[in-house]
Parts: sequence; structure tokens; C-alpha cells
Amino acid sequence: MSPAVSKINSQLSAFTFIAKLWQNEAVSSNGLPLTANSISIFGRFQILKSFRNDNLTQYLNIERGKHERTIVISEYYGSSLNETSNKNIQYENILKIFYQCMTGLSFIHNNDIVHHNLEPSNVLIDEWHNVKLFNYGFYYMTRGDEDCEEYVTFPIGSNIRYIAPERILGNNGNPKSDVWSLGMIIAELVFGISLWTNLKFPIIARKILSYCTTTGSVLEKIARDHNCLEVYNNLNSDFKDLLESCLAVESKNRPTCHEILNSSIFIHHQESIAFKVHKKGIRELAPMERLEISQIYYLWQLTGGDVHSELKKEGLIRSEAPILTVPRLVLLQSSKSMPNYKSQSSLFDQRVVILNTKNLSDRLALIPKRAFYPLLHCPRLPYNFGAEMRNLPLVIRERNIEYQFYRVVLFSRLLKGYPYTRDLIIEEAKKDIPPFLRGKIWAALLNVIPTGRYEKVDKVTPNQTDRQIEVDIPRCHQYDELLSSPTGHYKLKRLLKAWVTSHPQYVYWQGLDSLTAPFLVTNFNDEETAFLSLYNFIPKYLHNFFLKDNSIIIKEYLTKFSQLVTFHEPALSKHLNTISFIPELFAIPWVLTMFSHVFPLHKILHLWDRLLIGDSSYPLFIGVAILKQLKSTLREAGFNECILLFSDLPDIIMDTCVIAADEMYEKTPKSICHRKHVWRTEELEIFDITNIELSDIQKEISPRISANNLIYLLKEKPNQVVVFDLRPQNDYKRWHIRGSINLPYTNLMLSDRRLESINVERNTLQDKVVVVISVSHDNASLFADFLVDCEISMVSILHNSINTLHSILPSNLFGT
Amino acid sequence: MANNQRGGGIQRPNGATQNKICQFKLVLLGESAVGKSSLVLRFVKGQFHEYQESTIGAAFLTQTVHIEETAVKFEIWDTAGQERYHSLAPMYYRGAQAAIVVYDIQNQDSFVRAQTWVKELQRQASPNIVIALAGNKADLAASRAVDYEEAKQYADENGLLFMETSAKTAVNVNEIFLAIAKKLPKNEGTGPQQNIRPSGNETNRTSGNCCSK
Repeated sequence: MSPAVSKINSQLSAFTFIAKLWQNEAVSSNGLPLTANSISIFGRFQILKSFRNDNLTQYLNIERGKHERTIVISEYYGSSLNETSNKNIQYENILKIFYQCMTGLSFIHNNDIVHHNLEPSNVLIDEWHNVKLFNYGFYYMTRGDEDCEEYVTFPIGSNIRYIAPERILGNNGNPKSDVWSLGMIIAELVFGISLWTNLKFPIIARKILSYCTTTGSVLEKIARDHNCLEVYNNLNSDFKDLLESCLAVESKNRPTCHEILNSSIFIHHQESIAFKVHKKGIRELAPMERLEISQIYYLWQLTGGDVHSELKKEGLIRSEAPILTVPRLVLLQSSKSMPNYKSQSSLFDQRVVILNTKNLSDRLALIPKRAFYPLLHCPRLPYNFGAEMRNLPLVIRERNIEYQFYRVVLFSRLLKGYPYTRDLIIEEAKKDIPPFLRGKIWAALLNVIPTGRYEKVDKVTPNQTDRQIEVDIPRCHQYDELLSSPTGHYKLKRLLKAWVTSHPQYVYWQGLDSLTAPFLVTNFNDEETAFLSLYNFIPKYLHNFFLKDNSIIIKEYLTKFSQLVTFHEPALSKHLNTISFIPELFAIPWVLTMFSHVFPLHKILHLWDRLLIGDSSYPLFIGVAILKQLKSTLREAGFNECILLFSDLPDIIMDTCVIAADEMYEKTPKSICHRKHVWRTEELEIFDITNIELSDIQKEISPRISANNLIYLLKEKPNQVVVFDLRPQNDYKRWHIRGSINLPYTNLMLSDRRLESINVERNTLQDKVVVVISVSHDNASLFADFLVDCEISMVSILHNSINTLHSILPSNLFGT
Repeated sequence: MANNQRGGGIQRPNGATQNKICQFKLVLLGESAVGKSSLVLRFVKGQFHEYQESTIGAAFLTQTVHIEETAVKFEIWDTAGQERYHSLAPMYYRGAQAAIVVYDIQNQDSFVRAQTWVKELQRQASPNIVIALAGNKADLAASRAVDYEEAKQYADENGLLFMETSAKTAVNVNEIFLAIAKKLPKNEGTGPQQNIRPSGNETNRTSGNCCSK
């Protein structure tokens, strides 16, 4: 936990570089183009965002521009060591710097990352000599795992003075090299000098290498070189020994960070040399200091912050005339072009730019103080900040800084209380979900509680699904930077394998990759949460869909889907039936991947924001809403046009689609969506829909409604239901549902498919659930078909015969 | 990308009058990731996507080619390659007049799988179905695993059209569809909207599937 108060020194910063360009049209062994190096860097960078340590600045984001331009946004803290005077730093403070640098280094080494970029400009300190290491992940993000392939053309760690001898000789990747670099930095502080200020690069390299070939203390030689022998001789001997060991020529003789941190001189002073800042009271804090740096960055972007333009302003991104990029020489025979002249604008410039946050702090200053710390259980001080903006379109809410501020602060708070706050999270998520916290909120909605189980699941052992997974991953949402990066491929494979291994009853179906992708992109640094989200998602929405033989489950689902189309869009359904446009032909990928194979990621995220709040039937309504949105096209079209439309799904407007789905979901009694193959937490009762076979519902165009649901409607929403009773008049007279319409089936002439033929006014049925009841289910079914033909919506048939109803109908609902 | 580049007699000759329109249902079968969707995309839209998404269930596209006086309209069902989706396949190849069975020349297994598909078609599909075998990814011949001669011989023995194709470079893509069009009898299957819909719900016909595994 970093103390909130430290942020006074924290700023947003950015630096940029160009990733290595592939020669044109380079192709890898599998025939696919080589992954852009900036994409590889993009994927590797992500884990760095999750690092939290007092002695490390926080990485915030990575962005890609044109032509492999890569921009890294990071926290900046205080000022760098080379901006502060080396002279006269007291011994205690040197010790403090030494210790804190080591703590930071130790943290990254424990995460299998080497710094290799350690020099005074990357050591940031504040007025109390607290240290945060900066850009410690540069080497890591620009190197691949395999053979350390390099994604950039320049070396990392450009200041030769601090580079360990083995690195000068070309051996990279050893954490002990960082220990050497730190040793050199501390030596400068101890002697109050800057190393070899007047010497040129090759001379310095030769000097360092010469240390390696001669015996004796490197520290002493440095002291001699800079006329500091006296200081050297007077050094505290423990300290001197420690520093000399850091500068051991052979890396194996250098101590590890862990050993250094446990050395006696540090152990005894730990209290006074650890990271500590003067604490302010809450009231003294400026608005920006009340937020985490990652939240600040997110909000900064919403205030119009644009890192590209800030870097351009500082001359770090320069554009040049396109004519200069034309090759100077092209060899006709091999059609190879000679390398362009080295463009000045693509050279690596180490400068770091501090991003201007004035706009943001001005906006935050206007926000009521109370909104920074919303009280959840205090009715007197409600936390509904931003409520007046709730009815704005989602796109606007997502880009509004104040609104997102309220949402992020509120949800951060709620998530801290999870799982106890789950009900509140659901309530708030119904309004909208701030993109900044989406992964965590989704996990909460899905009841995910990390247990460490994921770590134990086998994700490595080869098995027969590997080939399929391997050919599917490089085709899964590859326009996305995260999913197309090697890191993304690696993680997606682990997730899929983990899911398959933990479900022996299920198998990998193509499409599971698409289904997993949204969870991976929203939890890229938290595979366990991604995994558990998927783990809980599938039984909720896709129970048994991944059985080896899932045909019954899919058939039932699609039949229910057809019935729901009829229920809400009878005219459209009639047309689609006429041209035999059956859901089997287009809706399988919709269902099996919950639309994640059908839409681009940004749409899926919004769709799932809503889907996750609904129950297992909700996706059916999304399907109907899609058809509804395309209704005018579909109704005009023949079979070919319809199927073509869905082979290349047109631009669906998600907002409208979700609203339409919501509306239908609300209007539809639960039992209308009844499916047998659903994961149930509660047993069905006798008056719910039970004992119904797939072959039965396949025959029925309109869905069934349960007795329970009908009685509920009659009791609670009598104005929203119309009951047609098809029994003979005598039976009807004996007892009936109050307000029901008696149309004895034997008197009906259904060959005339007009509503007028049964003397019923169309507007009496509008927007109402129409329930057909009869002793004979077949008769009810035929009459329901008639109503559908008349384009009446929300037609349903009472499940089981009317006689069951008699026994549970409340007395006040009996008609006379 | 060679957009809309459809050589080889596909475009209607200027001013030519159309005498006859034939519609044929064609199905693509084969192991997953051999390039079925890419072949269709190249043929229908003249495009190629490096990261063509996997097909779930099936996709449908149409394209018309012109042979002499006849317009041949292909109604193409592009199926999912994964073995698990096998149970859906009969719905698409039943009633098809033509099929392209695709394998990847870099992958011997996909060639074996192609042969299984051919057998299944010979047994289950319409007796007169025109079957073409496509050895796709011919641009990656450097890592070839299936001999041209071997595949050619197999195709000849089974009376299949055969070409090595490349959806990426467009080699032989239009050619294979044209070859099929030429081989199809132009006097039948011509009625518009006839026989093109997958016959999924005919439960009485699904039982004869004996090579599902």
C-alpha cells in the first residue's frame, strides 16, 4: 500500500520510441505476417501496469501510433538523481537511497524482470530522499522471451558509465548486472562526483573493461581516478565492503538484492531508511492527491488529454515529408529496396515529457469534496452523484469526466466491500459500468471469488485439443492489440487449456476462444479472474453447450428463440417461416459464443455489460432485438438476401439493441423462456413448466406460459393480460377466470385468417400478454397460430390443461 | 489486394445477352484452418484476410460466373471445420450439386481428413455431385507436406477435379470454381430457389449418417 500522501510528487509522464520495423512483407513460418514489434511490446508491457511498490513508479499505459511509434505513459516522481546535486548528500541519505533502490530492484527481480536501464536519470527522488525507480521495464518490454529477440534497434541502458562489464561484452539478462549499475550510482553519491565527465564513450568502456583484467577493488580504482582516495579510506567498513561486493567484476561474486537488503547495515536502520513521506490530513489534500495515479491518468484522458500532441509539442514526435520515406534504391531483380536513410525523427530520444494536468485539476476542484468519499450506508447523505446525467446516451456518459469520476470512485469503493456489497454492485451496474473497472465489476456480477485454484490447474500438458486451440487463437479478434500480441496468444491458450482440463465432462468447441476473449481483455493482468469469470459465465448462460454432443441443447435453445421471435415479432416470424429462414442457419454462432464471435470487441463489451445482469434467458432477447433492428430489411428479403445479411452482419447499433432487449425482457413472463437445459438453483414447482419434451415444443409456434405466471399476471397486472378460454359455453359458465373471453373452439371458423372473423378488436390485445387456455392443447395451439397469423404479439398457450388452474386460482379471480 | 479482380470469364462480357441462368448449391468441406473461408472470400469478394476468423456453424455467400451464354450462380455454404461440427454438415451438403473439399498442402492430416470427406460425400450426398479437391496454401509450397502427384493421383482415381490453390495469391481460385461450373449439367437444377436451402429439419433423413466419427 503506498501512502496516499506521496502523490504530491507524482505526475504523469510519457516517453516514446520506434519499434523495429520488419522488412516489407516478411512472413513467418505459418504463412501469417510477422507480428508487428510494437504489438509484441504492447502485450509484454501489460504486466508492468500491475506492479505496485513504493520504490517503483507506476506504469500507466502504452499507446501505438503510426509506423511502429510506441508511447509509454508512466508515473513520474519528484526529480531525477542527475538533476539533483551529487555533492554533500549525507551518509544516512545515501544509505536511504541505496536501500530503496535495492527494494525496488528486488521487487522486479522477484518478478523475473531485469532493469538494465539503471542510471541516475531513472532514479527519482523527493525532498526526503525517498526513491522510486523509473522505466525499469524498458528492457523487459522490448525483448521477447524466446532467444531474447529484440523489438527495438537501439540498446537499452545507453549510459556506458553504469553498464556492467558483462553487458558491455554482450551478456544480457543477468539481474546481477543491475547490482553493478546501482553500485556505480551509489559510488558517485559517496564520492560526490560524476563519473568520467570528460571522457568519450569508447574510453569509458575501455576503462571499465580494464578493471576486469586487473586485480584489486573497483571502488578503489574509481576513487583513485577521481581523486577521492581519502573519502574511500574513511568509509564505514561495512558499507565499503557492501559497495565493493556490488562492484565485483565477476557477476557471480556480487550479492543478490535479497542478500544486500538483509545485510547488517540495512537491517539495523530499516525504520529510518524505508519509504516514508510526511502525511497530510485528508482536508489538506488537493483533489488530485485523493486519487490513485491510474485513476488520474484515466480521468486525464477524459479531459481531452492527448499524449501524442503533448509529445509533438515537445518535439519528440516529428513528422517528415512523405517523399523522404520513398526508397532511394530498388533492386529490380530481387525487388528489394535498400534501407532508407536513417531518419532523424525515428531515432530514440530519451527525454521524458511531463503531461499537463491543469485541466484535470481544475475540473476536479469543482467536484464536491464529499463525492471523493461517498458514504454507502448513510441515507442522510446519498451517494447518487451524477444522477442528473444518468439519462444521457451511454457514449456521452462514458466520455464525461465528472460522470466517470463519480462512477469510478463509487465502484472502487463498492468493490473493496465485495462480496458483501454485491447487491449494491448489481444495482449500480444496471445503470452502467465504467470501462475503467469493467473486469472487476463483471467478476463481481458473476460471483467470482479468487481462491488461488487457477494456479493449480494444469495448463501445460499437451492434449488432443491443442491443435484446434492453436489454429483458432491466431484468428480470434486479431484486430485487437492485446489479443494479437504474443503475450495475448500465450494467455488465451492457458485460459482455454485450463478451462478444458477443469471440465472433463465438456470439450473444446470452436467458439470457446471468442467467448474467452472478452474476459481476457478485461482482466489481462489477472488470469485467475478471467478464468473464474468464464468458469461462472458458462453454466449461467451456456449450460451444457460444451458437451461433446450438444445437439439437443442447441435445438432446444433455437426452438425457444424461434418462439420468442413469434412472441414479440409475429409478422416477421411469419415471413421468416415462409422463406424457411431458420435460426439453425444463422444463430448458432450467436448462441454458442454469446455474440462474441459476431461483433467486434467494443460492441461485445457493451452488450455483455447488460447481459451479465440478466438471467439465462436474456441472450434470447438480444437475438430477437437484432432481428427487430433489421426487421425492415428482413421483411422485404428472400431467403438468399436474409442469409447473406447474416453472413456479414451489418452494423448493429448496440445501444438501441440493448434497450429493445430490455423492454422485451421486462414484458415477458419468465416461464415463456422456459428451457429444460438450464442450470437451476431452485427446483421447479408443479405449477411451473415441467415435463415438456423438445419434440412437443418444436411443434409449437407460440410459447407456453405456466399457471404460476398466469395467476401472477391476473393478480398483479390484470390490465396487461387477455385470456381466451376455448371451452364450450357450458363449461365456461360453470367456472372461469374473471375477465376471460369465451370462444368455444367448436364454433370457431379459423379458415378465415382475419381477426374480424372472431369479433375481437385488435386494440384490446395490444401490448398485452395473450393467453390461450383450453382442455385440448392442440386446439389451443391451433388458435394461437391463428392469432399469430393475424399478427398479434405476445401470444402464449397455458401449459397443461385448464383444469390444473382451477385448483390454484384464488377465489377472487373466479368469474360468474 | 486485388480487389474485384475476377479474371477468367467471370465478368459478363460487355453487351452479351444472357440466355440462361443456372443456380447451384456448392458446399465447402475440410479440416479447420485449411482456408475454406479464405477461398470463398477470394472468389466472392476478391479479398484476402490474413486473420480470417474461424467459421462457427456455417456461412453463406453467393457468386455468379458466366460460361459462354450461361450465368452460373453459386450458392456457397462455407462450413465449420472442427470435427465437432460434423453433425451439422449433412444439413449443408444434402442437395448440393457441387462440393469443394479443401486441405492444406502443409498438413498431411488435413489431406487424410479430405479423403474422409470425399468418401462421405460419395456415400451420402446426391449421386451426381461434382466434387473438387483443393490443395490450398500453395503459396507456402516451401513447407509442403502433401505431394502434388499423390493428391493428383488420388483425385484421378476418384473422379475429382483437382487443383492446388492459394487464396492468398489468388492462384487457381477462380479457376477451380469455373472448372466446377463447366462440369455441372446446365439443364437441371436451374429453377430459381430450388434445392438451395439446407434441409435441416428432415429428421427422417438424418439417420443414414454412418461415418460420423
